[in-house]
Amino acid sequence: MRTLLVWMAGGLTSAALTPVALANGWNMPVGVTALSRDIYSLHMIIFWICVVIGVIVFGAMFYSLFRYRHSRGAKAATFHEHTSVEVIWTAIPLLILVGMAVPATATLKNMYDTSEADLDIMVTGQQWRWRYEYLGEDVAFTSNLGTSREQISGADEKGEHYLLEVDEPLVLPVGQKVRLLLTSDDVIHSWWVPDLAVKQDAIPGFVNENWVRIEEPGIYRGQCAELCGKDHAFMPVVVEAVEQERFDEWLVERKQAAAQAAAGVDREWSMEELMERGEQVYGAVCASCHQPDGSGNPPVFPALAGNQPMLDDLDWHVDTVVNGVSGAAMPAFRSTLNAVEIAAVVTYERNAWGNESGDSVQPSEIAERLADQSE
Amino acid sequence: MWQAIKSVLAAFLGVQKDSRRREDFASERPGIFIVAGLLVGLVFVVLVALVAVMAAR
Repeated sequence: MRTLLVWMAGGLTSAALTPVALANGWNMPVGVTALSRDIYSLHMIIFWICVVIGVIVFGAMFYSLFRYRHSRGAKAATFHEHTSVEVIWTAIPLLILVGMAVPATATLKNMYDTSEADLDIMVTGQQWRWRYEYLGEDVAFTSNLGTSREQISGADEKGEHYLLEVDEPLVLPVGQKVRLLLTSDDVIHSWWVPDLAVKQDAIPGFVNENWVRIEEPGIYRGQCAELCGKDHAFMPVVVEAVEQERFDEWLVERKQAAAQAAAGVDREWSMEELMERGEQVYGAVCASCHQPDGSGNPPVFPALAGNQPMLDDLDWHVDTVVNGVSGAAMPAFRSTLNAVEIAAVVTYERNAWGNESGDSVQPSEIAERLADQSE
Repeated sequence: MWQAIKSVLAAFLGVQKDSRRREDFASERPGIFIVAGLLVGLVFVVLVALVAVMAAR
């Protein structure tokens, strides 16, 4: 009798815990798209099917264990086979599986239907940031981790959106069908936003497709979901969904900013300007490997402070930032950074942390080099 | 042949009577079971393909 009570108590506890789990956000989110709601209800239907099966199967098992126990003189049956029982216990799971497969397949078909999109976005994973390109709109930018290094090291209090904030979110219009084309520059990443029910691998050399139609304006956060190296935890995804009008305004602002950046290429930049801009770029892009103080993390990430071969050869330095180092961890930044940013960061690296080369490189020189290279 | 097909169908489901199994294994011609297996397998593949084509419409 005591055993039965223990089992009943266990069963009641798990039944009582289910609503607690749901209320505490341990379950998957319902999300803000029609598809995410479909996926959520599918998940819940299958969850409850599993609960019912579990209760029946384990209930029958524990009841039999208890009721027909040896100490009460139970004798084992010795029959060999029972065809009709075997057919029933084969046919019931078959029907249950087919019953689950029908709605699941319908949802999958909908998920894969990326046709007739209103807006195409190219999403490129890079170690360790996301790059977004609004195809046909001439707008492209890189989205870096927004959490400060002080919060990560523990020097500062952790913020509300610790490691789930970026400098520039992906801005999308609500109510529009947005097609995401996902790929990668280096290793396999995965673009994951639970509220949008999108988790799609970004694989070098492949273009994967997915789509979203967000219904409510808001900020939706996610992370890279495929272990991609040292800073895998430091390349979050932030999507800002806004009304169509606001989105159009934003797009115009972005285009103007791009035009201004292009204009900045032609003028002469002072050393102070380059150093200031370079420090920002370094902090956002380079510091995760080469460290904020330029000390690096040898042997994989060489030190830049006091790196004499680098200081002796400006041309090699620029080439390394533009084209990366083949077969090593250093990526090519020609598509991630613009000419101004490359010129600024190279100048900064040559004149920071006790590096005193005194030389600088102008954005116009970098632009020329990039143009030569792309020919 | 009909008995071989019934045995193959039973094998597809994974349930067979012991008496039928004994009968099958007493048979002198294993070839007929191989032919029946290939035939029923082909029919199954065609059926699944048909369902998929219909669902894709």
